[in-house]
Amino acid sequence: MAAKTLPQTVVFWALMLESAKNTMVEIRIHGRGGQGGVTLAKLIATSRFLQGQSVQAFGLYAAERSGAPIQAFCRYSDDTIHNRNLIYEPDHIIVLDPTLVGPGITGGLKPGGWILINTPASPDTLQEQFSSNRLATVDATSIARRNKLGTRTVPIVNTALAGAAARMLGFDLDEMRAAVEHLGFAGSNITAAEEAYDQLRVFEPASLPTVSRSKGASSTGLYHTDEERGPSFVEGAGGGLPGIETGLWATEQPHRQQFVPPCNHVCPAGNDVQGFLAALANDDVDNALAIIVRTSPFPSICGRVCPAPCMASCNRIELDEAVNVRQLERYAGDNGQATVEPLTTRDEHIAVVGSGPAGLTAAYHLARLGYYVTIYEQGWEIGGLLRTGIPGYRLPPDVLDREIGRILSLGVDVEVGEVIDRNRMLELTQSHDAVLVATGLQELQALRLGVGDAEAVEQGIDFLDRSHRGEVRVDDEHVVVVGGGNTAMDAARSALRLGATNSQVIYRRTRNEMPAIKEEIEEALQEGVAIDFLIQPITLKVNDGGGSNQRRHKLVCRRMELGEPDESGRRRPVELDGSDFELECDRVILALGQSPDLSVFPEGTEVRQGQELLGLLETPVYAIGDLATRDGTVAGAIGSGRRSAFHIHNTLNDLEVPVTIQTETSSNVEVWHNDVIRSDSLKLHLFERRPASDGVAIAPEVRRTTFDEIHAGLTDPSEAKRCLSCGVCNSCDLCVTFCPEGVLKRVGSDLIFDYAHCKGCGICVTECPRNVVFMSHL
Amino acid sequence: MSVEVVSGNHAAGYALSVAGEANRAARGASCGIYPITPQTEIVEYVASFPFQKSRVVPVESEHSAMAVSIGASLAGARAFTASSSNGIAYMVENIMVAGYYRLPIVMVAVNRTLGPPWNIWADQGDTLMLRDFPWIQFYAEDNQEVLDATLMAFRLAEDHRILLPALVAMDAFIVSHTQAETVLPDQSAVDRYLPELDLPHRLLHEDPKTLGGLAWPEVAMSLRLEIDEAMDRVDEVFGECRAAFRDVFERDPGGAIETLGTEDAEIVVVVSSSIATTAREIVKQRRAAGEKIGFVKIKMFRPFPERALREACNTAKAVAVLDRNYAAGVGGVFWQEAKAAFQGHRDDLIIQDYLTGLCGGDVTPPMIDEVIADVTTRDAETKPIWMTAP
Repeated sequence: MAAKTLPQTVVFWALMLESAKNTMVEIRIHGRGGQGGVTLAKLIATSRFLQGQSVQAFGLYAAERSGAPIQAFCRYSDDTIHNRNLIYEPDHIIVLDPTLVGPGITGGLKPGGWILINTPASPDTLQEQFSSNRLATVDATSIARRNKLGTRTVPIVNTALAGAAARMLGFDLDEMRAAVEHLGFAGSNITAAEEAYDQLRVFEPASLPTVSRSKGASSTGLYHTDEERGPSFVEGAGGGLPGIETGLWATEQPHRQQFVPPCNHVCPAGNDVQGFLAALANDDVDNALAIIVRTSPFPSICGRVCPAPCMASCNRIELDEAVNVRQLERYAGDNGQATVEPLTTRDEHIAVVGSGPAGLTAAYHLARLGYYVTIYEQGWEIGGLLRTGIPGYRLPPDVLDREIGRILSLGVDVEVGEVIDRNRMLELTQSHDAVLVATGLQELQALRLGVGDAEAVEQGIDFLDRSHRGEVRVDDEHVVVVGGGNTAMDAARSALRLGATNSQVIYRRTRNEMPAIKEEIEEALQEGVAIDFLIQPITLKVNDGGGSNQRRHKLVCRRMELGEPDESGRRRPVELDGSDFELECDRVILALGQSPDLSVFPEGTEVRQGQELLGLLETPVYAIGDLATRDGTVAGAIGSGRRSAFHIHNTLNDLEVPVTIQTETSSNVEVWHNDVIRSDSLKLHLFERRPASDGVAIAPEVRRTTFDEIHAGLTDPSEAKRCLSCGVCNSCDLCVTFCPEGVLKRVGSDLIFDYAHCKGCGICVTECPRNVVFMSHL
Repeated sequence: MSVEVVSGNHAAGYALSVAGEANRAARGASCGIYPITPQTEIVEYVASFPFQKSRVVPVESEHSAMAVSIGASLAGARAFTASSSNGIAYMVENIMVAGYYRLPIVMVAVNRTLGPPWNIWADQGDTLMLRDFPWIQFYAEDNQEVLDATLMAFRLAEDHRILLPALVAMDAFIVSHTQAETVLPDQSAVDRYLPELDLPHRLLHEDPKTLGGLAWPEVAMSLRLEIDEAMDRVDEVFGECRAAFRDVFERDPGGAIETLGTEDAEIVVVVSSSIATTAREIVKQRRAAGEKIGFVKIKMFRPFPERALREACNTAKAVAVLDRNYAAGVGGVFWQEAKAAFQGHRDDLIIQDYLTGLCGGDVTPPMIDEVIADVTTRDAETKPIWMTAP
């Protein structure tokens, strides 16, 4: 390259401009792509052309798209125009978008020239900003919208501004109307031009600076030094234009949001289901367990016995079938390692009465919060119904011991053999800072079958407890279980394992109304349990002979039909007259449901979930778990225990620690939604169909003979990869992959949008399968 | 005839379309089209023109666009296309084929910088890379010249003494997208100016033949010489085309070069394309101030109007060539051609190259003043001087 110092330049170009100054007018137009700026230049040019003048109209083009700041130019002159440059020193400027107004756009504008701005504001409000110029404003956007020009979001304002410019520049309205018509615009475009012509507001300062044309201190265009040159292609950015902030073109920007997945929403225990599934999908079993034990101390238990409403609500059902959350929770509980420790130490001593899942969970959370907790259990083993009411083939005792061990390792004291009556309760309130009562549903619902042989009729809970202790056999018997809940299923299936030749469940409604876990019903049927519906037992008689099987008793039953729904929402069974029949059997087990025993509380106590029993005792006393909720599930008891623990903590410390745990995925979610995301907000077509994994089950004919666990669980956590992660970013990075501009980056769990360069194309939103990225208008 | 405010692209689309339509009584019009910024408006115009007899074929690439036009031309249609920049680069193989097939195809090219780096603005490098092909090349200053040169290109290319394709180039955006008043001739006038195409080596199904099969060296070389002889005739035939244009349209479209003040100029500024508008005005002002300075616009680049340029610089001591293009390792292409033109004729003449407005840079009046100030004081040439707008 030759770099050479040139002699003093003679500025003939200034003479050239001087000669044209009396006739040539130069206008620069600032707008956004899509507003019609170039056409505005052409409209003005055409209006002058039709008056016999020489004209030019052109844009400054680059790779713009809709919304990008653009410039357009217009020249008109009585003489032929001898200039093909951009306009650096315009006589006037026109601004199509008021958001562009700023010192940058007036560069080179001659003092005294007009500035026409599309804005509803009055021109005198701008006088401080542009003190050297005449100002004109018109609300061209409203005019364009009123005349339905363009779209509501991007109105095309050029014909309105052409009308305004005509007035400002002193043209006759007819001259501009002619130009609008000449370019083929009609109707509302002409109306818009006329309206703007009429509505133009102007402000002229009392004194304007003298108009003096710049003689253009012409700097040489030679590259004199390396500093005047751009970056090297090899050492620099390939000669590209990193300086162009293409984000200025955007009319919309992507942002990150998060919804509540339905599984998290419905989990009675309050577990972060999506969170632990994500950890499992990532093969991080320990982290999955750590996430679960933030809320529940019983993943291995819930992973075996939970009815799993998360699975019933799973959005994946719309694609193929629910994610097997239950087995995945079990996998995390059985295979993960997580250390739980008290977060601090506190002085308060809290009593928990009852060692079922609600009491244990409350003790767990209170201990983690640092409280000194003592559990009082009337039996000699802790675990409540988890131990006595759920057969070992569903919940092996060693699993229960392991999870209880985790709670006791926090330093929780246990007093067994402690029967709490009303007096003992008073003592507890005096020696503790708070008392939680989690005694569950102790009152068993009975059925008067009018038979003397009490040996033949037994409560299911008692039967299961005796079975647990090895105190009962039913060899060769025909056992009838009355009821449709999990206790009925457990009793019927246990009876098979205890030697029964027939195990029959009778239920007064139909299968649809059975409260038992669906899988448990399936498994019972597979094992050979018979379930008969719409049957109500009436009386039990001693078999006086005549029957074929020579069973000891005859159960007189009545057929039912379903009537109107009752208060539980299920259809009420109605007896069918004259439908009685006899069922020969040896034993009847009642599994009809339980109700709370309130005898430990003072008379008149009303039990409500998580509520202090007001006014009766000085110390806060709470009823929790089934005693308060009658929910009947382990998961429900866990949720109640945890909420109560935090409620007590807040009460004792005058705090408001939130009980709900939001999924903690990253720090840069901008919009948190409290509502649940449904499948219609997901892009299910982006997911592959894949059946759920259920691990290895033992064959029914084998398992019905033993109390060994019937299911071996999952062999690996890959099932978790089926989780759609509804409404929660799981770093799938489709957005990053498909971003055509490379302006979206992942840094850890954060998504970083480079708004300076994002054009707002929205492809990240189109590609996001889980509605995590959304566009918002600027 | 009407005068309208239209863009350079519109003028080109109009010229191609009415020229094609003028062949409607014969084999009609045909072209392969493929869009590229900043040429797109041209092919849009052509694609929507209500031809009476035509086949406009949207294709998947520039290479195929020229292939369609080659086939159409061989079948006797008035064939044309348009492209720009990297699109022309991709089209190159068939551009060359059209020339050696001696097909009177007309291409409008919008001069745009060849990437990388990506750049959509004016630079003549794309068409000047075709300078060694058997194509006639014009560089138009403004919308009117785009239209006029395109019509003349058809007449010139189709003349049986020539039978070479021709391209008309214009600066991206500065001409292609600038709206200015332009004379749009009526179809009837164009019909008079462009007689029906009669391609002597047109393919006929009743007389099958192969064009461009294997040729031994002496035959192939003879065909090259034939092209050289045709190129030599361009000057004369173009003069006839200009005269006919004046007769039909009652305007002078200008010659291969345009001069101003060269009769006594000591300094001559040589330019092409849109830079001419500004440079001409500067020269006018300087002459009015008494300077002995002249102006030359080179409109026809190939064949290069050597003799006319030499004559225009008869009295000159120094020539400043402004090039909006760069041949790697050399400098401006117009400068190279000018140097060759004076070789052995005026070895005392200083011919200095100024690389101005490359890659779309604005060539402003102060820059031209600086060029003149520099060349005026020179006593020797240097390597080309690179200039950018301040």
